[in-house]
Amino acid sequence: MKAEERDYLFLAVLAVTVVGVTVWTGSRVWYLSLILLCLFGGVFYITRRWHERGFFLICAGVPLMVACGAMSTWAGLVAGWMIAGCACNAMGLLARPRERRLFGVFCAVTLPVALMIYFSNHVVVPILILAVVTGAIVAVQQIRDHQWRKRFGVQL
Amino acid sequence: MRRCAQGLSLIILLLVAGAYVLDDLALLLAAGILLCGLVGQYLVFDRRFREIVSSVSVERSLERTQVRKGTTLRVATTVTVRVPPPMHATISERLSSQVAVLDGDTTLSADPDPEPRTCQFRYRITTVVHGRMRFIGITLAVRDAFFSHEIDLFSDPFSGPDLLIQPVGIFEPAGKRTTAESREVEKLKVVSGFGIRALREYYAGDDLRRIDWKLSAKHNKLFVREYTGMVSLPPLIIIDLPWHGTPFSQAALEQMVSVVAGLAEHSIRSYQYVSILVISGANLLHFSPEEKDLQRCMSMLREWMHPVPRVVHQYHATDRSAIRAEIRHLEAVIVQGGEPAALQFSDRVRKHYQGVITHLRTPAFVGQVARTFSSLKIDECYLFSLASGDTSHIRQVIRQAKIAEMIVHIRLPGAVIAAHPAHDRYLSADTVEAFA
Repeated sequence: MKAEERDYLFLAVLAVTVVGVTVWTGSRVWYLSLILLCLFGGVFYITRRWHERGFFLICAGVPLMVACGAMSTWAGLVAGWMIAGCACNAMGLLARPRERRLFGVFCAVTLPVALMIYFSNHVVVPILILAVVTGAIVAVQQIRDHQWRKRFGVQL
Repeated sequence: MRRCAQGLSLIILLLVAGAYVLDDLALLLAAGILLCGLVGQYLVFDRRFREIVSSVSVERSLERTQVRKGTTLRVATTVTVRVPPPMHATISERLSSQVAVLDGDTTLSADPDPEPRTCQFRYRITTVVHGRMRFIGITLAVRDAFFSHEIDLFSDPFSGPDLLIQPVGIFEPAGKRTTAESREVEKLKVVSGFGIRALREYYAGDDLRRIDWKLSAKHNKLFVREYTGMVSLPPLIIIDLPWHGTPFSQAALEQMVSVVAGLAEHSIRSYQYVSILVISGANLLHFSPEEKDLQRCMSMLREWMHPVPRVVHQYHATDRSAIRAEIRHLEAVIVQGGEPAALQFSDRVRKHYQGVITHLRTPAFVGQVARTFSSLKIDECYLFSLASGDTSHIRQVIRQAKIAEMIVHIRLPGAVIAAHPAHDRYLSADTVEAFA
């Protein structure tokens, strides 16, 4: 599958998800998610030749992700996957099979995060858990990096 | 973190802050997804960075491994690295402060390629501090759209080889000592002079009397002095006689005769012989190699020292090297740019010179002078001339003498020196002085 075809696939799935969840939930502000979808589609079209397209797609996709997440956590998750897919594709991060597998891992990792948020009543505990896990990962990584760099830093 | 990752971090922080203030789980979900993406990207980048570092191999070759301080040295460093897309790598050579980079590249970019790529730095360094110097290693900087990392690779596989920089005696007087019959040269000779031409590390078998104890104490290592050599070769005297068809100063000619006779006599008395070459313009008239008899030498001078007819004339001919220098100058002018008309003129002159240089033949006089110099064991010459009329042959003689590694002294009449003190025409000569 070519990069352009992948792009349109992600966009199509995103559009179906947004329209589907809007119809299914019967939200009173149904037009908001459709406007945000159009906004994302516009940015998707306008920035197709831009250098840092991925970043602009994320910026345009975040309000849509929030809108979908407000209607349904799972719709927000799928919208997040699709927007991330568009951004990664724009940055050339899905060109090889290994990278596509990594995208699959990303989707799998976000699933427990969505589950945790789904079963939470307030934001404090999930924020703390996210902060602790991120801090732990960064700290472990820093220690590993320091130990690893020692092997190359011997100045004679 | 690069700009893209910084932007993402800001969005995540705003979303988390919004989620906390509004107690909105949808905002937190968006922040969580972005945070997972950013942390995941960081882990992937780190893994790729380690793969790139483990694929690096460095090989460095030096022109020499032992040099004197101040010497220029050519270095070639070959770096093999595998940079998988979408990563970009920049490799920089790290050098000790004991050397200064003269020219060449010490930084290069390695484009992404799934296969290992070989890049090469080629540069020249000048050694500025003596002692043992090790090539430290390289700095590898890797970046992708989100992150950039840098690592100094200074361990054994990336550093070396060692360069030994020998000190030089910088406080030695520049002038060469000259005694009545010999003078110092910057070469190793059987007979040592008084000046120190270099200092180097002590090797087994070196004369212990030559150890420089002060320097050895300073560096806790034995250093020995290398003295200059002494040579006792008489100078070659070249006499450029005036053409009888051009006006010249009779007084200047008489002065020249007297000075040449004096120098010839001094050479025979000090060195036991003298070589004299008599020319007039581009005509080689007489050559008296290694004349030992003073009377015969003086009679030869009496016979030749007068204006002579010239068979060959050069008509102010420019030699090949001067034309090449002019072409280089014009090319520099064209590269610098300027008025279109001036550039067009420079280009036309350059083309004219290029046309001339292809048809320029080496004059027979140059070959004669070169053959004469090659038959002599001489490292210094004095050229006496009245410098009247065409002087292109003098430049040719200087050039041939320089090719034969001679020290060239030009002696001209005082009036000529006073009229043209700079004497650009004889810039390659070691000294240009008045003979009276």
